[in-house]
Amino acid sequence: MHDCTFTIEPTRTTSADVIVALAGNPNCGKTTIFNALTGLRQKVGNYPGVTVERKTGRCRLSGGRWASIIDLPGTYSLISRAPDERIAMEVLRGLREDTPAPQVVIAVVDASNLQRNLYLVSQLIEVGRPLVIALNMLDIAQRRGIHVNAGALEKALGVPVVPVVGHRKQGIAELIAAIDRAAVAPMPAFPLPEAMRAEIEKLAPHAGRHAERLLIGDHAEDVQRLARRDDIAPIVSASMARLREQGIDPMQADIEAHYQWIDSITEQATHRGAGYQPVSDGLTAHATGSPLVYAPPKTLTERADAILIHKVWGLLIFAAIMGALFYSLFFIADPIMGWVEEGVAWLGGLVTEHLPEGPIRDLWADGIVAGVGAVVVFVPQIALLFLFLAVLEDSGYLARAAFLMDRLLRGVGLHGKSFIPLLSSFACAIPGIMATRTIEDRRDRLATIFVAPFMSCSARLPVYILLIGTFFAGLSAWGQAAIMLSLYVLGILAAAGTAWIFKRSLLKGQSSAFILELPVYKIPQISQIGRTVWTNSKAFIVRAGTIIFCLSVILWAMAYYPRLPEERIAQMEADIRAAPPIELTAPWITAPPPTDTAAMRAEILEENLRAYIPEAIASAQLEHSISGRLGHAMEPVIRPLGYDWKMGVGLVAAFAAREVFVSQMAIVYSAGDAEEDATDLQASMRADTYPDGRPVWTPAVAASLLVWFVLAMQCMSTVAIVRRETGTWRWPILMILYMNALAYVAALLTYQIGSRLV
Amino acid sequence: MSKACEVPGCVKPPMVGDCRLNQLGIGCRGAVCGVEGDADLRRRLLEMGFCNGATVEVVRRAPLGDPIEFRLRGYCLSLRQEHARFVKVTVASA
Repeated sequence: MHDCTFTIEPTRTTSADVIVALAGNPNCGKTTIFNALTGLRQKVGNYPGVTVERKTGRCRLSGGRWASIIDLPGTYSLISRAPDERIAMEVLRGLREDTPAPQVVIAVVDASNLQRNLYLVSQLIEVGRPLVIALNMLDIAQRRGIHVNAGALEKALGVPVVPVVGHRKQGIAELIAAIDRAAVAPMPAFPLPEAMRAEIEKLAPHAGRHAERLLIGDHAEDVQRLARRDDIAPIVSASMARLREQGIDPMQADIEAHYQWIDSITEQATHRGAGYQPVSDGLTAHATGSPLVYAPPKTLTERADAILIHKVWGLLIFAAIMGALFYSLFFIADPIMGWVEEGVAWLGGLVTEHLPEGPIRDLWADGIVAGVGAVVVFVPQIALLFLFLAVLEDSGYLARAAFLMDRLLRGVGLHGKSFIPLLSSFACAIPGIMATRTIEDRRDRLATIFVAPFMSCSARLPVYILLIGTFFAGLSAWGQAAIMLSLYVLGILAAAGTAWIFKRSLLKGQSSAFILELPVYKIPQISQIGRTVWTNSKAFIVRAGTIIFCLSVILWAMAYYPRLPEERIAQMEADIRAAPPIELTAPWITAPPPTDTAAMRAEILEENLRAYIPEAIASAQLEHSISGRLGHAMEPVIRPLGYDWKMGVGLVAAFAAREVFVSQMAIVYSAGDAEEDATDLQASMRADTYPDGRPVWTPAVAASLLVWFVLAMQCMSTVAIVRRETGTWRWPILMILYMNALAYVAALLTYQIGSRLV
Repeated sequence: MSKACEVPGCVKPPMVGDCRLNQLGIGCRGAVCGVEGDADLRRRLLEMGFCNGATVEVVRRAPLGDPIEFRLRGYCLSLRQEHARFVKVTVASA
């Protein structure tokens, strides 16, 4: 076979002998061919300034030469407004500074979908670079009764046509050899209307070779710039007006001319197999060409779809698959995440032992190791979700899922493909937001990313459980479950409302046509899936991981510094020993041990003190730190919501991760390890009062805090991932402001109304 | 002869003349005779092959009614109702 490797600096082309661009429709198997050509390792990045993925790789040619291969985004056309298509055209024409102009273009054509694929080929021919056609998916075409003759196609087009079956790696060697035979195709005689040709000729002296592009409305930057020029614009409008009078729309005429050419090519290069049945429904002169229509044989895909998109069965199967996804994210990923956390802590602990006590040790153990843990802990969920997604996407089922859900989600301004990201966000928004990659339309994707955090994630659960269990304990189990459910519903309603508002305001604009292809079902390739999981996990760690890690260390420092002075700590200890809190001495008053001696009492007291004093000091340290002072400073702002400074401290810390709220409350209240046993914490919270005797915690306060947690943006990891997925800080900042403002108002209302009702 | 249209609001066959793509019932066929809508949508629909009198067949509708799956030029694609209604088709007499 061939030998391939990866390139470290794809933009510098001195190391490559030939630059090859890979173009093709979405779903034509281009990625599989790219992987076959370049091997396991490729470089994935972004085109600067846009969130379009940029993939490059290297491939060895004969004679020891190397080809640098650019995998262009899958496109239906090259002249529309969509960013993918603009980028592809710019790369092909050599207009991008970050990417060298390709010397050869390989067009991957799906043989089972020849006509629409040839439309892109017709545009590639117009671009004028040496071309090779990779005729892919011939096996699928054959099953559908379509026989494409590669030789006839080659003769008709005038460029090498190489039959390839990408997912079986057949024809790859021939494709590589064909790169050297690439030829500029002879320009086809597209049958444009005479009047249009005349107008192009009239424009030519002014606009040169862009004359036709100006008329049809090509969205390329240079054409648009030309169109806006004062001397050109009126001439173009006059031409368009003249054509309109004759009933000609240049854009439409151009596309129709291309398709007429395509019809003639497919006539020459294909014939239908035995499975086709001619069906005459008497379409007359409107049907250009054949008066007969052919019905393709029933394929496996169509039979499968009859069930999978069935009104009843389809939805049931869909629910089952989504249920499995959800279950695995919640219950399978969870224990794995626990192991990962323990593993990281254990590894960190190996070093901790060797460090002297003091800030460096604490920085290492609680700052750095905890920070790394905070990043790595997400990998199991991300890997699992992308495993699921890759299987669903490669098999072809993902498009069906979008097909089923689109109506439901479009009602609130989202997209059929938003379903899985939103569902995953109930486990954790980080993989959910990463999963929005499958949504092509930028506005729909942004709207989905924006509302994903409203799906109450698993990190909120410890907070929900603590607050509901402590302050709504009077209700039955069903009552408490109902409150929990209403929190989830609140999140969903907030998401729906937000998406609806956003679509109408900030993200207002033309919605690109929803066109969904339902590709043929196929068995996913393990190597492809493995590659997807690996690439996405790695990308998360590298891009978002750095932000999460830095924020984690900063938050640690905020709770650590400034340190309590030594004298203060000694004084505190002395004070506690002089007058131990009543509950530390209480145990044997209520339940005296069998042999009640003074020595035994002293021993028990000492034991309790040894446990209690570090907690009390930790609590004082927290109050003394920046976090604590922030909590105090925040108090006036959060007082209308019913919160005090202790909750403020918890909220600040919860920005690291929502579940940290619980442990921070435990520290503030010196209540031990709340994850093990929260009764101490619950008791402390219930007993806490303001100086004037009012209880700090009431059901209204708890309700207000619950509403806050449902709606507020309180997760640095989410902020980091939104930054990574949208490519700018604009959206994460907007998200923080919007969600926290919404949370503030809602919590305010909840508390003010709730405290008056109860 | 087209199959009976079970979609409510479908222009029932036999009929002659133009109707909109979203009005066709399951299994019905029509020949594209025009595409309306704003420039971007029109371009996209034309480029996908809704031109030159191509035959479009309605394959199915999603359980909730939308989107609709069509077959044209040998492949299948789904469009939302709001976009499909911009495509004018001619259905021939029985």
